[in-house]
Amino acid sequence: MHGRAPTSPIFDELRAIQRAHGYLPEAELRALADRQRIPLFRLQAVASFYPHFFLTPPARAEVRVCGDMACHRHDGNGLRERLAARFNGQDVNVRHVSCLGRCDLAPAIAVNDRIFEKVSDAGAGSLIEFALAGASPAQLAASASAEASSDRRRRVECDPYADQSSQYGVLRAYVQSKDWPGLIATLKASGLRGLGGAGFPTGMKWELVRSQPGPEKYIVCNADESEPGTIKDRHIMTHAPHLVVEGMILGGLVAGARHGILYIRHEYTDQEHILQHEIDRCYREGILGDRVMGSDLGFDLEIFVSPGLYICGEESALLEAIEGKRAEPRNKPPFPGQLGGGLWAKPTVINNVETFFFVPVILSKGVDWMKTAGRNGSAGVKFVGVSGDVVNPGVFEVPMGTPYRELIEGHAGGVPPGRTLKSYAPSGPAGGYLPASMLDLPLDWNAMTQAGATVGSGAIVVCDDRACMLDMALNSVRFFRNESCGKCVPCRTGSTKMTEMLTEWTKGRRGPHDLALYQELCHAMRLASICGLGQVVHVPIASVMKHFPDEVEAHAKGRCPAGVCFRLGAPA
Amino acid sequence: MSETIAQTGMINLIIDGRDISVPRGTTIFDAARLNGIAIPTLCHQQNQAPVGVCRVCIVDVGARVYAAACIRECEPGMKVKTAEPGVVQARATLVEMLMSDHPSPCARQQHSGDCELETMAKAAGVSEPRFARRLSTRGRDDSSLSIAVDHEACILCDRCVRGCDEVKKNMVIGRSGRGYATHIGFDLDLPMGSSTCVSCGECMVSCPTGALTNKRVVDSRLQGDRLDPEWILQLPVFKGVSGTFLELNQGAVVKRAIPPGEIICREGEFGSTAFYILEGSVDVYINTPIAHVQQEDAAGGWFSRIRSKLSDRRTHTRDEESSRRYIPIDAPVDLPYDKPVAELAAGDLFGEMTCMSFHPRSATVRAKTQVVVLEMLRNVLDILQKNKTFRAELDRKYRQRALETHIRSVPVFAKMPQDFVNYLRDRVELIRFSPGEVIVRQGDEADAFYLVRLGFVKVSERHPGGDVVLTYLGRGSYFGEMGLLGGGVRTATCTALDHVDVVKIAGEDFHLMLSRFPDIREGLEQVARERAEMNRRRVASTEHVPIGDFLNQGLMEAQSLLLLDLEKCTRCDQCVRACADAHEGVTRLVREGLRFDKYLVATSCRSCRDPLCMVGCPVGSIRRRGSMEIIIEDWCVGCGLCVRNCPYGNLNLHPFAVQVPDPAQPTRMVAATRNKATGCDLCMEHEEPSCVYACPHDAAHRVEPLAFFGSMLGARDQRHTGSTEGTSK
Repeated sequence: MHGRAPTSPIFDELRAIQRAHGYLPEAELRALADRQRIPLFRLQAVASFYPHFFLTPPARAEVRVCGDMACHRHDGNGLRERLAARFNGQDVNVRHVSCLGRCDLAPAIAVNDRIFEKVSDAGAGSLIEFALAGASPAQLAASASAEASSDRRRRVECDPYADQSSQYGVLRAYVQSKDWPGLIATLKASGLRGLGGAGFPTGMKWELVRSQPGPEKYIVCNADESEPGTIKDRHIMTHAPHLVVEGMILGGLVAGARHGILYIRHEYTDQEHILQHEIDRCYREGILGDRVMGSDLGFDLEIFVSPGLYICGEESALLEAIEGKRAEPRNKPPFPGQLGGGLWAKPTVINNVETFFFVPVILSKGVDWMKTAGRNGSAGVKFVGVSGDVVNPGVFEVPMGTPYRELIEGHAGGVPPGRTLKSYAPSGPAGGYLPASMLDLPLDWNAMTQAGATVGSGAIVVCDDRACMLDMALNSVRFFRNESCGKCVPCRTGSTKMTEMLTEWTKGRRGPHDLALYQELCHAMRLASICGLGQVVHVPIASVMKHFPDEVEAHAKGRCPAGVCFRLGAPA
Repeated sequence: MSETIAQTGMINLIIDGRDISVPRGTTIFDAARLNGIAIPTLCHQQNQAPVGVCRVCIVDVGARVYAAACIRECEPGMKVKTAEPGVVQARATLVEMLMSDHPSPCARQQHSGDCELETMAKAAGVSEPRFARRLSTRGRDDSSLSIAVDHEACILCDRCVRGCDEVKKNMVIGRSGRGYATHIGFDLDLPMGSSTCVSCGECMVSCPTGALTNKRVVDSRLQGDRLDPEWILQLPVFKGVSGTFLELNQGAVVKRAIPPGEIICREGEFGSTAFYILEGSVDVYINTPIAHVQQEDAAGGWFSRIRSKLSDRRTHTRDEESSRRYIPIDAPVDLPYDKPVAELAAGDLFGEMTCMSFHPRSATVRAKTQVVVLEMLRNVLDILQKNKTFRAELDRKYRQRALETHIRSVPVFAKMPQDFVNYLRDRVELIRFSPGEVIVRQGDEADAFYLVRLGFVKVSERHPGGDVVLTYLGRGSYFGEMGLLGGGVRTATCTALDHVDVVKIAGEDFHLMLSRFPDIREGLEQVARERAEMNRRRVASTEHVPIGDFLNQGLMEAQSLLLLDLEKCTRCDQCVRACADAHEGVTRLVREGLRFDKYLVATSCRSCRDPLCMVGCPVGSIRRRGSMEIIIEDWCVGCGLCVRNCPYGNLNLHPFAVQVPDPAQPTRMVAATRNKATGCDLCMEHEEPSCVYACPHDAAHRVEPLAFFGSMLGARDQRHTGSTEGTSK
């Protein structure tokens, strides 16, 4: 047995009710409110916020079809419309769902909460028929095992450990030496940055939390990877869970935290099991618990399964979710690392899966390895996901400094035969779309920033010449609209107004004020929104306006050069 | 913890070029305000913790993005620009976006011209928003008696949320939904009136727009002394209410001083107010004879007139007459059948049903001493009823004074031993339901027994093709025994039709009672059997009916119908005259009604699918017999509500000349007219109704509906095909 971090029981309670009833009946919510002494409005606030929860009985087949970026490139939206039409009038509810994290296996759908990859119309249809016939989710999953990904555990190249017995060697050395200042100095010297997308120096963050007063601190791993195109954390958790856990323990010991929470998106069931297996092993072997590796240091680690939503990946929204609230980002400062800004207002280290992963790697291989591992003057290694219109989508472990051309045309096999590359998004929807002419940019933070783009989360999505860039911009803006939490006015209202306006543009209707309104919206959302989501809603369309102005202009004249827009059905 | 955050001392910064010094921890908004720089805001209020959600107070602090001044603390050396062109531009965009979704002018703008959003839009020069209007509607919620909710005008500033949850700690309002679909919700996103809202008014006072506004009550001119809100707030029963709310509702509650002997309200009158006695005492009584209308054949044979007279149940016992000893009224006491008078005193409330549900007054109230009362409209009563102190006081009094007569007024409980009544006194729960709320649901586990204390409960059963209303239960009725006696599962759904108060007796207490008192068990089981049989027959009667129209008109459910054959009828009105002649000049037949085929269905109680006549009777004197005919109990006060409610015009008011005590001098009797409700009696004393006999054209018939319409409907039941006409002349 081990100590538990103070996490809200509310989601476990709601999930238990939903497992028993299929939804959340009012009587059960009232009973829960009584039992846990939670005001009813608080239950309603969260139950109505997270799409995972049903407030009314669900259909016999609840079908969710992803239509974001890579899945849009693989006709996820068309699939959704065809399925909705085919099962119209039956006890089937076909809806759009935001990115399921299977961009390399597009299109992805979920039937009664089970995810299926690379589905065809026929495959999806028979799954739904099976669900209608009364198949349990487990039976559904079993029926489609051939279609499911065969994510077998592979060794990642930069894993410093040759075998299982040598794992956690870095932790062992630091537990003995307790040279925490030295650890921080190494991290700072290595230049390791947060790899969730924002790129904040990790050494500084850990030092900040370490320096905060008070005995209670937390360490949180953000494994809520939900941005379209971003699949690298799934890969890392699958293939190197021990390095993620080791990174978290190191972070905890450095910062002086007793509890760690690994916050994972609920669609990553396999990875949750892999990590739980690893955590169980650590408790068995004395790596976690009251005496880490026999020392006087204690550290406990547990998994918190996200109730789901892209916004939960925003660090302060993630903390709100752990506290059992609506995942609405907080006003900052104070930042999570500061007293008053973290989990339960305590100083908290939050890092991405990949960041924690690289900590033991760097501490083991040394700062110099970082320099030699990179190319063209860049330092280190990065995991990138390449998806969309490529022959061989997947996650690749590559040296920093590798040109995007090599990632797309080499590792991912380039666009399908006969097609030409039109554009690529270097970091999901938030990084905007770049033209083929910018393919030779290197995977390098500084070089990308100078080019007006970003390495971000390494979520590369490729569009070939069949794509309409205005349609892609709308697709990405709509993703942000769908995922806006609604807390602040610029994002809640602005993302909707922007989506509505772009939808009109794709229909060839551009109002007399639209270009002015577009500018004003970009300005207000970028500068006035509370969090990063609202601040980047405009990026996809701004990048397309910048790099593909002719294509946007053609729509205003009633023509879609790629031949996409004027024949699409209703948008999601 | 806060000590470690808040370090003491002053810090210096620059706002709009001015050097400013403020204590550490001061927000930019406050620092600017203290120095005469106004930063616009929608979501921030001085008495609430800042949340920074409207973003209108954004300022440039030289960072990557703007900061919300309301929540951002000043930092040493900070350079703040509150009115940079970029800041002003972003603010204008936010306001324009909000305006594009705003129903301008909203309720607040219409009433008082001070909607904060519309005022700000005007100042920013936003007239016609250029953004597309919101496509989806967000709706209104009219369920609260005191606060109007217009979600369309809501800007999600969270001011009401903080007012409710943080300022007043009432914990009712929260955000519900997500993204653009976010809205404020009450409890589990219920209509405000069905939620645990106590109508303190804080949300409404906090709201910057017309999303939450004071509901003006139409009849807001009460006679009496208008009261100063501060004086009202001193009364314990108004504890916790927002003063601003009372100011907005000045005149909705007045103080009246009434001399002894003066009548405060009369039975049968319509009204819209309730009274709370501050000082003195009153008599409450029924001034209509406690009797029913009896038909008497004056000279024998149907040829002569039938005479109506008033008889009470001691002199004329009717089949299945209620043996209740108490008459339920709209006050915390019941009146004894034999001597319908009671006394109320300071701290008592009466007229609740009239005020909340506009039922007619159930009794006459006269000042016994010099009396001071608060007379109030329903929005104020609503606040009182939701005040916990007041509620507890009302409940305490009810348990003390009325619970016993209430229990004993149910015939099967009439002889319950005193010790068990005392046992129940502290164990029962007193619960209130809003209109439309489900009290028990068919199929749910039966865990309690209920006595209706106030209001009306609809009892319905689920059937393929829709719910069938089995009955309406008013004060003095009970429900829930069928489930408890039977399989432990609710056999019907009971829904509050208006504002309903019930006495809830837990299942274990109910079972204890049954085990201790076999008589009560037997009585309840007997009633349960009768109810089950009645329900079975009602449902069965509708099962064979093939024609929706027939069903819709309620004809199928009739015991007996009077039909006028319109092809033969010359509209001579002989039937109407005959009826009037037979009933002392008061016709019970109206030659109007629903048409089915060539027939006009003129009269007679149909024991409707949905017996609307029973709803609202202030004294609960109209009910259904086992045979489903309507019976009017002796304590009818002649208000006429059932007459109005009957959709078929089958109930009438029958005036009687009577002698009643002179209100001015109660020992003296004076002549007066009192009404009693009556239904068509089908001239039961005769072989044939007068109207049928009188018709010179053979157009009027008294028929059994299923038999008569059998062939027309192609009824499957062959028994009826032989006689297409019932008894006719």
